[in-house]
Amino acid sequence: MSPEPILRLEGVSKHFGEFTALDNINLEIDEGEFLTIVGPSGSGKTTLIRILVGIEELSEGKIWLRNNRIEEMPANQRPTCMVFQSLALFPHKSVGENIEFPLKLRKQKPDQRKSRALELLDLLHLPQSFYDKRINECSGGERQRVALARALAFDPEILFFDEPLSALDFRLRKNLEKELKDLHQRTGKTFVYITHSLEEAMVMSDRIAIMRSGRFEQIAIADEIYARPVSRFVAEFMGEVNLFSVSGDAGGNPVGTEIEIQVRNTSLGSSMKLSKGASATLMVRPETVHFLTGDETADFVVGGVLKAEYALGSRTQYKVEADNGDELAVEKLREDRFLGQVGDRVRLGWNAEHAHMISGG
Amino acid sequence: MKMSKSARIALSLYGVLAILFLYLPIISVGFASVSKARYLTFPIKRYATKWYGKAVESSTVQDLLWTSLSVALLVTIISMVVGFFGALAFARYQWLFRGIFQKLILLPIFFPQAVLGLALLMWFNALGIIPTWKTAVVAHLVWISPIATLIIAIRAYSFDPSLEEAARDMGASTWIVMKEITGPLLWPGVVAAGLFAFLLSWGNFPLSLFTTGADSTLPEWLYAKMVSGYSPLVPSVGILSIVTSIVLLLAGGIIMWLVRSHNGTASPR
Repeated sequence: MSPEPILRLEGVSKHFGEFTALDNINLEIDEGEFLTIVGPSGSGKTTLIRILVGIEELSEGKIWLRNNRIEEMPANQRPTCMVFQSLALFPHKSVGENIEFPLKLRKQKPDQRKSRALELLDLLHLPQSFYDKRINECSGGERQRVALARALAFDPEILFFDEPLSALDFRLRKNLEKELKDLHQRTGKTFVYITHSLEEAMVMSDRIAIMRSGRFEQIAIADEIYARPVSRFVAEFMGEVNLFSVSGDAGGNPVGTEIEIQVRNTSLGSSMKLSKGASATLMVRPETVHFLTGDETADFVVGGVLKAEYALGSRTQYKVEADNGDELAVEKLREDRFLGQVGDRVRLGWNAEHAHMISGG
Repeated sequence: MKMSKSARIALSLYGVLAILFLYLPIISVGFASVSKARYLTFPIKRYATKWYGKAVESSTVQDLLWTSLSVALLVTIISMVVGFFGALAFARYQWLFRGIFQKLILLPIFFPQAVLGLALLMWFNALGIIPTWKTAVVAHLVWISPIATLIIAIRAYSFDPSLEEAARDMGASTWIVMKEITGPLLWPGVVAAGLFAFLLSWGNFPLSLFTTGADSTLPEWLYAKMVSGYSPLVPSVGILSIVTSIVLLLAGGIIMWLVRSHNGTASPR
């Protein structure tokens, strides 16, 4: 990736009356990157993307596209383009006319426009016969592709996406996520995508920015977000997770404040150490927790009763109730599934390299 | 829900009666227009079509037609233009006084037309304007352009604002957005509004009565002749007026159909 960011935000804020939708946002996006901004509804992600394409005005801050300040530039002069959540395909125009729209605005000749539109249909795996179709004759997935083709016809410096896949059914969405990632690699363009689904983000992106109440909580590669979240909020955002409130004992080892956690390894690495009395949250993902048998042991051990078992297809998920009543989640591949019965007393264990300490409560 | 046979018969009977109730009076006007007798009698003893011939030849009727048509066409064109922009303000743009505007603009629809006509006549007098068919155009517009605005606004409400945003995002100027996106999408609503405007103006009596001054429209003349000087010319002119409305409705329907089949269904998903 180039050292010079294609887009740079400095202190971007947006206020709606008393409400602060964006609070002093700083961000650098690299050329050719696939960045996904994830957040729950109301986190400000839609406001941010609308400011970046120029549909919405910012209250404070600066935005550079390469070396040009663009925050004052209206949307129709910015060399960026967005795929809208509703897709915003023009219902009174054919598929071909939709794709050619940005080219028509640039006064390209009709035959030139048409050959480009047909190329794009190919790129998006749509048959050329779609050129003359009406939008209402296309299925949900086909519309996605048309919307993408239209955005690519614009040939933007940065392509923005406002949750365009959210209305599709699960299978189609999964397929399109992968296609979008392929498309990103084939076109080499910079993609900025927003969604409320971290799973979607993980499939597609190079980097993920987690947004909460108008700020970025964490910006990192997908694996980092998954394994080493900076806060409980980020940890809980991605699927099932076990979080334990802990505080440091005299030896600097974490001790569960709610659930009794036995620390079997007294020479834990510094990442697992806590100064005496300091509180933190210990995180461990369900798939790294093991059922311990016999005198097997692990760095951390918790006892409990197996409460439920859910078959998820390739994996099986277990609910284990700890002695204080809290529930823990464990997930095993189908072939490694636990052979005990619901109601059995079990010992759960995990090792320090799979645990992550989130500082603060 | 399954209905018993008797309930179904009762329901069909009710339907037929309702339709008879709606159309029988109009049909009887048709009969009256082809009566040979000078006076309104029923049943009709001898039929004749001479009154239609007279209606077409009569210079009075031609004048009436011309006046009514001028008023209705002007009202149609103006209320389409006013309604288009009014609807954008009504439905599409967020602005400070939109709530008040939405209520005020619709209010004239609810005024009794006779009161509205009287009020306008008093104003024309106060301003020293002599009422002619042109003042009637203004009077009709006060009542009809809100209706046209409402019809177009319903259309404007139902389209996705991100269509305009997307066009802008791809480089379209305000004018291009209007020409390429907003205009074509609102067009069916504008045609429907124009149709309504014409029909409402063409058939309007109370507003015309107060505001046409020495000029006279078809409905005014029909009323005057019913009061004194009846001949089957009256119903035959009435029927001609209805036929004009129907022809226009059909033309409008065909235009809408053409627009729709060209646009796919331009209606939103």
